[in-house]
Amino acid sequence: MIKLTIDGKEVELEKPVTVLEAAKKAGIRIPTLCYFEGLSPFGGCRLCLVEVEKLPKLQTACTLMAADGMVVRTETEQIKAARRAMLEFLLINHPLDCPYCDKAGECELQDLVAKYGPEAGRFAEGKRQHPENFDDPIIVRNMERCVLCTRCIRMCNDLQGAYAITVTGRGSHSFVEPFSGGKYNCEYCGNCLTVCPVGAIMSRLHRHSYRPWFVEKEVETTCGYCGVGCSLILQMREERIIRTIPRVGLGLNNGLLCVRGRFGYDFVESRDRLSTPMINVNGELRPVSWQEAYEFVIRRLKEIKETHGPTAIGGIASGRCTNEDNYMLQRLMRFVIGTNNIDSTARLYYAPAVAYLEQIFGQGITANLIPGIANSDGALVIGGDPTTINPILGLQIRALWRSGGKVIVVGAPGGLKRFASYEVVPRPFAEEIVLSAVVSRLVKEKELKGELTHLEEKIKGLKEPAEGDLQAAGVSAETIDRMVTDLKAMETPVIVIGPELLQHGRPSKNLFLTAALAYAINARMFVLSERPNYQGVIDMGCLPDMLPGGRPIDFEMFRHKIEETLGKEVPQNKGLNLFEMIDAAADGRLKALYVMGEDLLFSLPGREKTRKALEGLDLLIVQDIYLTETAKMADVVLPAASWSEKDGTFTNLERRIQRVRAGRTISSGRPDWQIVSEIARGLGDDKVFSSAHDVWEEVIHISPLHAGLSYEDISEGKAIWPYHGEPLRGVEGEFDVEGLDSLPKVDTDAIILNMHRPLYHSGSTSRRSKALISIFPEPVLMMNPSDAKGIGVEEGEKVRLATSNASIEVKVKIDRDLQQGVVSLSNTFEGVNFMRFVDYTVEPTTGSMVITNNSVKLEKVKE
Amino acid sequence: MEFLKEIEEILNRYPDRQGALLPSLYVAQKEYGWLSQESYEAVAQALNLPPATVKGVATFYAMYKHKPMGRHLIQLCTNVACMVMGAERLVDLLKNKYGLEPGGTTEDGRFSLVIMECIGACDKAPAMLVDTDFHADLNEKRIIEILESYK
Ligand code: SF4
Ligand code: SF4
Ligand code: SF4
Ligand code: FES
Repeated sequence: MIKLTIDGKEVELEKPVTVLEAAKKAGIRIPTLCYFEGLSPFGGCRLCLVEVEKLPKLQTACTLMAADGMVVRTETEQIKAARRAMLEFLLINHPLDCPYCDKAGECELQDLVAKYGPEAGRFAEGKRQHPENFDDPIIVRNMERCVLCTRCIRMCNDLQGAYAITVTGRGSHSFVEPFSGGKYNCEYCGNCLTVCPVGAIMSRLHRHSYRPWFVEKEVETTCGYCGVGCSLILQMREERIIRTIPRVGLGLNNGLLCVRGRFGYDFVESRDRLSTPMINVNGELRPVSWQEAYEFVIRRLKEIKETHGPTAIGGIASGRCTNEDNYMLQRLMRFVIGTNNIDSTARLYYAPAVAYLEQIFGQGITANLIPGIANSDGALVIGGDPTTINPILGLQIRALWRSGGKVIVVGAPGGLKRFASYEVVPRPFAEEIVLSAVVSRLVKEKELKGELTHLEEKIKGLKEPAEGDLQAAGVSAETIDRMVTDLKAMETPVIVIGPELLQHGRPSKNLFLTAALAYAINARMFVLSERPNYQGVIDMGCLPDMLPGGRPIDFEMFRHKIEETLGKEVPQNKGLNLFEMIDAAADGRLKALYVMGEDLLFSLPGREKTRKALEGLDLLIVQDIYLTETAKMADVVLPAASWSEKDGTFTNLERRIQRVRAGRTISSGRPDWQIVSEIARGLGDDKVFSSAHDVWEEVIHISPLHAGLSYEDISEGKAIWPYHGEPLRGVEGEFDVEGLDSLPKVDTDAIILNMHRPLYHSGSTSRRSKALISIFPEPVLMMNPSDAKGIGVEEGEKVRLATSNASIEVKVKIDRDLQQGVVSLSNTFEGVNFMRFVDYTVEPTTGSMVITNNSVKLEKVKE
Repeated sequence: MEFLKEIEEILNRYPDRQGALLPSLYVAQKEYGWLSQESYEAVAQALNLPPATVKGVATFYAMYKHKPMGRHLIQLCTNVACMVMGAERLVDLLKNKYGLEPGGTTEDGRFSLVIMECIGACDKAPAMLVDTDFHADLNEKRIIEILESYK
């Protein structure tokens, strides 16, 4: 126990902290400038100076450790004079252009000078000049205002890990600059501008459009871009979101955001937003009133149900919509129309991955806490780059490495380049061979626990790759040795699974191997989630074989319970999944499809097939915030409220449920749950839902998993797995693996087109954000330098990229870290999107899709 | 290749990559003539350090060549002792004879001139360094003789 006295107050400390932190504990505020909670102390500004008895000079409280018996004073005349002097030094070069500076009102320098002075400086010399830099579309820097606290640099280096900025020059010629001296060319997380105490690094998005005290309302909500679910605050004025900010202490992101969460919010104001419901009349979408649109949908659904039965109707839920929205859509399909035909694009990898792993280990196996990753001593990352798919989760892995943990990446390391102990890059789709080798070796050296016999039996039947197989996979036996040794030594390992693990090769085998590995080394698993609510889609029962709460449809008990509670029938037979619905639409079994918040034509491979299928429908209902490619084909289009315009909840990839809160509605769109509810009522549903809260009340009544979990509990952060509900237990066990006793052939000649998952985009929403588009404005084909050289192209030149589906010209961007024989294109831009080029097959065991037709022809385009 | 080999050797002499940065910058300076963006990138790549960090460290130090310079670098002291002994006349002389301004480079790329703040040779003032050679007790005649030996 350390006891000290600060300003006459006795302070007792359990563990050693700095005098600054000790004072904070005692409720005493010591002024600071270079200190920022969570960053390593710097001790550069000397504003936190305090007097300590028996120490001859003033001390910086942010770096001085509190010691037993210390007597500290924080505000004496001597201290005030010192602080005033420090501030006078800072003002020698500071332009004092407060009337013009966006920071005024929340500027720490301004506040400090207001408190300590000086009222006038004594330096008559001219101030240093450094022009404001506008090279970047979203960040502006004004280095005349910089006080060289280095908070931004410590943030960028130590927490973000981008190492993009530095102090250049020295003395009064020091400025904080990115490497280029112009554009940042960085990860654009904007975390540096959160910590800048003055107006030296600022967002350009809201430049000169408001003063901090103009903010009328703050809305605490959850980011709508990915499955991490960062907490952020919408600062609103009149009709608009002025900016979104994170807050230290709020949510799992604890003050950090990624580029999408921080700058991508303007998609809600996009001019592409739908402004009215529309009905297709003779091939043209015509505006109609909500009433007309509802009547049309209700009449047509009734007709189709009467003529073709309920199973001729299907629904597509959305990983971008809230739990409430998704619950309502499955409710409409199951309990009102009477079909289990409901699925979503979680089918593309997320849902099959979670379902498969839960089949082996039980429900909730992937529900692990993201902030725990940094405290682990090792990580294996496979199937995707967490720093771009789920950036804030990616930072946790960087932190893990920084604190001495081992990070092994299988595949191109991407944003983990500097943070991977090593990477193992097998030939495309040869991950299976690497994992097979590692698992085979591992179980020879380490006895299995004997807990899961079904899993252990299969592990025994696994074919171990021979030397030649490894060679074909492009990985040496030494690498396997090293991996096995390192994995075995990990005590609290995590395994991070990305989409690619399922979308190539044999998904069930890859998943099985990952599961076996996790079992052998006792790892926690995370499945990266590209959408904010893929997990919620699953938990709300938007699966053809699962009811809300993840209860299998073929368990009569669960069906009956719901029937009793709701007084509605639950259809017995398994419904069609996404791909089966497409097939059924193509051959005429499915007549109507209700697509909520998803652009199927854009998001699915096999575009021609999808297009034909949708064309063949009698009724295509599209509910979205934009006129997407799919919406253009619809018989009726219903404009929805966007993420910032509605209430509800998201469930993130760690299965944490968090509130989404409405800022203000600026469009004519309506919340998805509400639209669905209106239609359900027209189809005979007697229940009235008047708010998202009402919907949630029903969810917690019928889903055993969510039993009793109120909005209040969720707001208080209590909605962490397993929520005090009842997870499903005792059904895990049997599962199948394809090709347990065989190994894949590796094609070494083909050039493979892969999906690029850039940090700055996430499908089509980000494309409507001017800010994100300004960073990544056009489609580019990422190529390894030697592949580019092979066909004689340089960065910025165009190639013709062709498969049997499409042949399109696209600009090349060189990526040194991309493996040879692989080119990648994002699924962002209409017309030149990844999915347009490729097809798919479905692996029956997992129901996951496997990308096919991805071997491409490349040809330089002559000018 | 030579460049990478030299950096490799330097790396062997230091416990960590950061430590090898300053000497590696000298190698880069030799290779590229001065510390250009390109040279920072090469050093960053060779040492596996972030380019911004390399630039930050390099720009802190005045001894590096931060812009393209002539074949020979003259560092002439004009601090108190040298000034008293006539260093400023030497500066004027260089201007007249070679068109060489402080901080500048001759048109033919032969000399660059940097004014130094004391090279610790006050007893033999005025003094200068040409590249790494030390010359003292300068006067108008001597300095030209010395410089003419640098082609
Ligand atoms: S935006 Fe992020 S990555 Fe870029 S300089 Fe700032 S902290 Fe670093
Ligand atoms: S830019 Fe801002 S945060 Fe960075 S050193 Fe300057 S004042 Fe500090
Ligand atoms: S990590 Fe995901 S949830 Fe967090 S800010 Fe970025 S996109 Fe949003
Ligand atoms: S806050 Fe302590 S020195 Fe800056």
